[in-house]
Amino acid sequence: MAIFRWGHRWDPLQDLEREVDRLLSSVLSFQGIRFGRQYPPVNVIQLELEYVLTAELPGIRPEDLELTVANGVLTIKGERVGPEGIPDERFRRQERPRGNWRRSISLPDSIEEDKMTAEFVNGVLKVHLPRTPVVRPRQIKVVDGNA
Amino acid sequence: MSETPQAPTPSAIAVTTSGAAPPPTEAQVVFTPPIDIFETTAGLVLLADLPGVAPDSLELQVQDNKLTLFGRVDATLPEGAQVIHQEYRVGHFLRSFILSDEVDHENISAKLNHGVLEVILPRAQQGEPRRIPVAIE
Repeated sequence: MAIFRWGHRWDPLQDLEREVDRLLSSVLSFQGIRFGRQYPPVNVIQLELEYVLTAELPGIRPEDLELTVANGVLTIKGERVGPEGIPDERFRRQERPRGNWRRSISLPDSIEEDKMTAEFVNGVLKVHLPRTPVVRPRQIKVVDGNA
Repeated sequence: MSETPQAPTPSAIAVTTSGAAPPPTEAQVVFTPPIDIFETTAGLVLLADLPGVAPDSLELQVQDNKLTLFGRVDATLPEGAQVIHQEYRVGHFLRSFILSDEVDHENISAKLNHGVLEVILPRAQQGEPRRIPVAIE
């Protein structure tokens, strides 16, 4: 603990990790704005009756989230804003991604677009894409034309 | 298509001051969440992105001078689910910080809103400067 603090800025929060760990973890785990990657990253799972698309969007207000679907393409867009009224020089750390983002995802052919629903829980967006019931192949009877 | 956003109200999170930091037990990935720290007139504010962490699955501890946040995320998929596209992995979140005496440890408060943890670290009241008499030999 420093005794003489003159000329030192108030910085009582000291990260435990070492810089190497930080670099490593930033490569391994910082999801989101990583160079060359699209934001937000999405996962899709397939269930018997639906596909479920999820995207991690912490800190987004649901009212700022825009979902549209047109021509088989789902578009999600929004903005991540930083804490309001805090000038940059007050930041000791700034790791959380910010800014406008937009993502377009092609939907599988076999979904019912008009029955799609979405929910936003604990910073995770979940879009339910109901699958169209499998159409049974229809047998066409061939009539013997010579008869 | 309809959107059914859930707007949970920011919930207060109890800050415990005893017990060991919770170790991640399951064989699930643990991520270091990205954070922001900024200074206000009252002290410091820490923001951490914890998507998927519910208020009751977040543990925030101050022990001695160490602040630890641990957010559990349930990564189990519904039965019969098949992953057809994966761009991110789901895991717990863990990160620790050292607090100095300049933070009022007793009055740390926190809330979780839409997957973002906000920890308020008030500045401790500074004591009066004490004069140290210097004896002349």
